[in-house]
Amino acid sequence: MPAIKDTCENVIKDHIVRAVTDVFGTMLGHEVGDGEPCGNARVASGERNTTLDPAPVMVVGTVGFLGDVNGLLYLYFDATFATACTGVLLGMTQAEVAKSGAEVVNDAVGELTNMIAGSFKNNLCNAGHTCKLTIPSILRGRNFVVEPTSSARRYAYRFDCLGHKIVTDIIMNQDE
Amino acid sequence: MPSRILTVDDSKTVRIIVRKAFRAFDCEIIEAANGVEGLAAAAASRPDLIILDITMPVMDGVEMLMKLKADPALKPIPVMMLTAEGGREHVLKIAKLGIRDYIVKPFKEDTLVEKVGRIIPLKQTSEIQAKPRSIVDPADILVVDDKPAIVSQIRDGLKHTKWTIHSAVSQAEALEYCAKQTPDLMIVSLSLPDDSAFALYRSVRNNPKSKGTPFFGLTVKTETAMQHAAQQVGITAVITKPIDLIELESKMAKALNLDTSLRYFEIQGDSIIMRLPEACLPAVLTDVGHYMKAKLPEAVDGGINQAIIDVHLLTGVDMGIIRLLMQTTQTCRELGMNYAMVGNPRLTEACREFEDTKEWTFCETTDAAREHLARVAAAAGSRAGFQLA
Repeated sequence: MPAIKDTCENVIKDHIVRAVTDVFGTMLGHEVGDGEPCGNARVASGERNTTLDPAPVMVVGTVGFLGDVNGLLYLYFDATFATACTGVLLGMTQAEVAKSGAEVVNDAVGELTNMIAGSFKNNLCNAGHTCKLTIPSILRGRNFVVEPTSSARRYAYRFDCLGHKIVTDIIMNQDE
Repeated sequence: MPSRILTVDDSKTVRIIVRKAFRAFDCEIIEAANGVEGLAAAAASRPDLIILDITMPVMDGVEMLMKLKADPALKPIPVMMLTAEGGREHVLKIAKLGIRDYIVKPFKEDTLVEKVGRIIPLKQTSEIQAKPRSIVDPADILVVDDKPAIVSQIRDGLKHTKWTIHSAVSQAEALEYCAKQTPDLMIVSLSLPDDSAFALYRSVRNNPKSKGTPFFGLTVKTETAMQHAAQQVGITAVITKPIDLIELESKMAKALNLDTSLRYFEIQGDSIIMRLPEACLPAVLTDVGHYMKAKLPEAVDGGINQAIIDVHLLTGVDMGIIRLLMQTTQTCRELGMNYAMVGNPRLTEACREFEDTKEWTFCETTDAAREHLARVAAAAGSRAGFQLA
């Protein structure tokens, strides 16, 4: 199995920035700023990564990818921006989104995460690392931190979008 | 009739986006959340196109596609894959499954509409006339084939319609015809020399006047490579020889967006008559079911409260026919309409074999059905009089 360590951090960043820019631009018509790293240190047992600032309520989409490369991609929104993006995506007013409930927002965030993971994964595949995606799932809440259970390589980037912050957090296996 | 698009995706978000994309068009969007639901919806509604996601729970898109292709009734429905996975190998893999096109997420709604528009006709809702063209209206059909026998066969097979069949033997002759007038539909032999059928298709599509003209390709059943090539370029439909004229007429009516309800529904005096033809293909049952839901309430609204369901041409029953007749009789009861069925002895015998139909009774003729309905109405009238008294 090819070792992910051969894929340098710049390439990973390039893939994820393109994916986020493409998805937000195409589906929402929103421009995003350049992704700034916000904590890509290797996480060893006992060391907490606190670079992701807790927000009032977070809505987080997650999609896994499996194959030559194994990992998870998380996409963090604050709940307000998640609701706004849902309205744009589905052609609904904020009042309509609020009336429809959290399920609609969760589904929209899940789909955006799916698309970003898909774009990211396609770039990996084209570089020779084939893998498949899992179906998305959603985390919702406040003051939580996601940590890998074993040592892994982590790539987290923060993007500015219309005054809000979104964060992508990719956790990937090292060579096995 | 609106174009029917079935969207199969486990993401409600994507289904809403697809629905939103076609809001400005005369389209009916049917939704399914996985492959199992998708197959059921495809069988029930016979959509004009399926937009199919790949990664879904219960049954994924690849499995659903394979099951569609294995079902002779569903195989002709064009499928467009909508996928988040756009890698080269993956795209090549799904292309081999026999899809008409694919679109990778993220996608612009305009791109989706454009790609769909290459497969099925899309009419903007502002273009819809108050009275759509019907099966009894004239149309000009251009058949381009260098074999006179094929042209004769089509002309003879469609002589009961108001359609005029014009003919051309070559690409050049066809273009000469099109320069004078735009046909309503073209049927072109894909075996014209020098691939001229495909060149003709490109010319027709590049001309703004004929850009939306339905273009059927005609080829031998075993020429699968030719059929595949035709589907790839976006030819409206492929008709295989030997030609099934009933199927051809049905596909032409659909492509011309004709209201075919007059084939099956008629107002006669104080009754609406629903008539099933002898050859009840699944597409016919779907059409009749679709119109029935509108025609019966329309009749009641117009003061008609009697329905005669004329199935005397049928030689047997199958589940599709039973389902349609049950839906029709149920609708009559819900609307408060009296109804009677017209059949034949063979049909009565066949109905005795099924639990749901063994109690059904049939009149011998529509006149007998009218007399029966008159007796029912009279009996209801005298009961009402007795109660008032």
